[in-house]
Amino acid sequence: MRSLFGAVGLAFAWASSAIAQAPPPAPSAHTSYSGASATFDGAGKRGEWTSQARDYANTRYSPLNQINAGNVATLKIAWTFSDGTQYGHEGAPLVVGDTMYLVTPYPNIAYALDLTKPSPSIKWSFQPNPSPTAIGKACCDAVLRGWAYADGKLIYNLLDAHTVAVDAQTGKELWRAKMDDVDKGVTMTMSAFAADGKVFVGNSGGEMGVNGWLAALDIGTGKELWRAHAVGPDKDVLIGQGFNPFYPWMKGKDLGVTTWPADMWHTGAGSSWGFISYDPEQKLVFYGTSNPGPRVPAQRPGDNLWTSAMFARDPATGQAKWAYQFTPHDQWDYDGINEAVLLDMPIDGKMQKTLVHFDRNTYAYTIDRTNGEVLVAKNFAYQNWSTGFDMKTGRPIVDPALEPKPGVKLDRVCPPDIGQKDWEPPAFSPNTGLLYVGVFNICMGLTDHEVSYIPGTPYDGMEMQRFSVDGKDGNWGGFIAWDPAHGKKVWEIPEKFMVMSGAIATAGDLVFYGTTDGWFRAADAWTGKILWSQKLGSGVIGQPITYTGPDGRQYVAVATGVGGAAMVQKSRAGFPPRGNTLYVFSLNGDAIQAPESPSSGSTAPATATPQ
Amino acid sequence: MKLARLILGGILIAAIAAGVTGWILASQNAYSHLMGAGYDSTSTMLPLGDVAGQSASTPPADVANPASSDPNAVAEGHKLFISMNCAGCHGYDAKGGMGPDLTDTYWRYGGTPTQIYQSIASGRPKGMPSWGKKLPARSIWQLTAYIQSLGGSFPANAYQAAVQGDLADKGQNKGASDQQ
Repeated sequence: MRSLFGAVGLAFAWASSAIAQAPPPAPSAHTSYSGASATFDGAGKRGEWTSQARDYANTRYSPLNQINAGNVATLKIAWTFSDGTQYGHEGAPLVVGDTMYLVTPYPNIAYALDLTKPSPSIKWSFQPNPSPTAIGKACCDAVLRGWAYADGKLIYNLLDAHTVAVDAQTGKELWRAKMDDVDKGVTMTMSAFAADGKVFVGNSGGEMGVNGWLAALDIGTGKELWRAHAVGPDKDVLIGQGFNPFYPWMKGKDLGVTTWPADMWHTGAGSSWGFISYDPEQKLVFYGTSNPGPRVPAQRPGDNLWTSAMFARDPATGQAKWAYQFTPHDQWDYDGINEAVLLDMPIDGKMQKTLVHFDRNTYAYTIDRTNGEVLVAKNFAYQNWSTGFDMKTGRPIVDPALEPKPGVKLDRVCPPDIGQKDWEPPAFSPNTGLLYVGVFNICMGLTDHEVSYIPGTPYDGMEMQRFSVDGKDGNWGGFIAWDPAHGKKVWEIPEKFMVMSGAIATAGDLVFYGTTDGWFRAADAWTGKILWSQKLGSGVIGQPITYTGPDGRQYVAVATGVGGAAMVQKSRAGFPPRGNTLYVFSLNGDAIQAPESPSSGSTAPATATPQ
Repeated sequence: MKLARLILGGILIAAIAAGVTGWILASQNAYSHLMGAGYDSTSTMLPLGDVAGQSASTPPADVANPASSDPNAVAEGHKLFISMNCAGCHGYDAKGGMGPDLTDTYWRYGGTPTQIYQSIASGRPKGMPSWGKKLPARSIWQLTAYIQSLGGSFPANAYQAAVQGDLADKGQNKGASDQQ
């Protein structure tokens, strides 16, 4: 990358300190815990970060190693950028070429930042002005979990149930598609995902009695190519001849209708608001579905397919190849929307094409991604709702004492509705063979109330109090390393507050994550030893990235701005205020500097910034 | 979607018609009484939305809750707060969630009884549905009575001072909670 200096260096005055060149650690004597590997298909260039997960397999692994265990202690803030919004910031910025793209939570403003200039330098901004009605329809804050870059376009979801495409060069709107009706409680908070020449988007509103779906849109025009519902008859769910789930109890006609009381499936939710992954070899996309509606299980006897489940679909047609329901008849709002990380690994001596999924129900699943068979299902944190897992049927065994009944208080159900891991995505390192996961350590007191469906209001009924697994002064979070082949936790960093940020892993054998009380940390990927920490201006629920700037330096970036489900901690002492700022770090805080004389004109004025 | 499953069944539809008429009659009686009791007839006039009807759309904003004389109003309002899914947004303890805390003296649109009534009846821009066509006025006043009972509302005659900063001078502003 140093050769770039000659090309672009003339335009700038460089920081005087040289890039720290501590050599990466020698190849480790360690061997991978699991032997797992990933293809990293769909990643951009080595120094880029062009999708939320960086690659189709959802690894969030970067091959950069300029920042490594030997020098990470000198990491300092290089620059910051306030995006002017207050709702929880859950997305990752993207870096494509010499531009960083950042999208905010509601009102979903998009920014392009020119990385060749002293940062932050706004190249353009775009305000889509979604309807404010959507704020009050979003269950868990007016968030957005990022966006997609494809074919020179940035494509993202607006909270008011539209999808919009913006020209990456100019910031001009190219198309906008109305996907659903916000007045009925449908919002869109997931990151759009681009693969196979299409963009995939889904809806939110599992607490609002929506009818859940995932849709594929044409990248060029926004035209809807197909839409697959999670509830309803097979024709709506796009289940046909090619559908072959592994377990017999998921085989049969129109199970999305027959596993519900009459007509209840219409408002049965199964929305899609997590991350999507793609296997280009098998031509399958993988994604999860939300809890059933209403959240009160007594009102909907049955397995409630295909909620709290995962689908493998043909991206060309949307037709399902297999599905697997994690929590049949989900009684605690555990959802199934958490991501699938696509890894190949030996299990019991046999190489398997797998997906790894950390469910909110607290089982970590390693699943054969060709057919939906559960190969490993082990708890990655504390839970008490399930007494075990039946590997023959693929069903968790439920403790009947913890099944809610309307009007009867359950004092302690673990995890609570938001799981011991919510949507926050893990990272995978091919060096260690481990996954790195932000987790919770919490339970709930729960009283169910029967509810009626009133369009645009919560179809919910769960009255909850959340608290630490370990009592009044106990920790609420942690960060763990997980061996997916053996279903074992390798190490854990306990945290006082929930860890709800994404994680990244790097070739420098580092992992990065943030806490909801605002610590951003780097840890040794092998041992979990914390090598660097910095307290930031708000809590971190964003997803970190790392990239190489036009100056050849490796940077690490993360957005702060607490919100979302982390607000269940808002009455705890030490919980930070809201406020969204992007922080960018480098060794010694070195960055492209402004010329000594501001009159030289190399810093062009920014285009009009939003109010 | 299935009307049969909606709690807003025929009973309520019938009640709305009765309620609108009832509101006009009841409120006109109430106002004549209140004005006679010395309320400033030049105080701000407040349209109460669809339910109030055109002829009665501008009663004084500082009118007391007509339901305050009903001993069951708070209990009935609490039942409605749960059955109309208000609790789903504002919390079973009304301390906020998807929607704002209703107990903390921080009001975006005012915290006197008529202002609370208007927020419920007309809806508000950040997702608060409009209930004026779905619930009779009596029910909305009962909901208002329940919210008043939580301690975070303002007295009827505080309308002119219902801007948050003014109330801080009276020691009523206990600090705004986090607004989702």
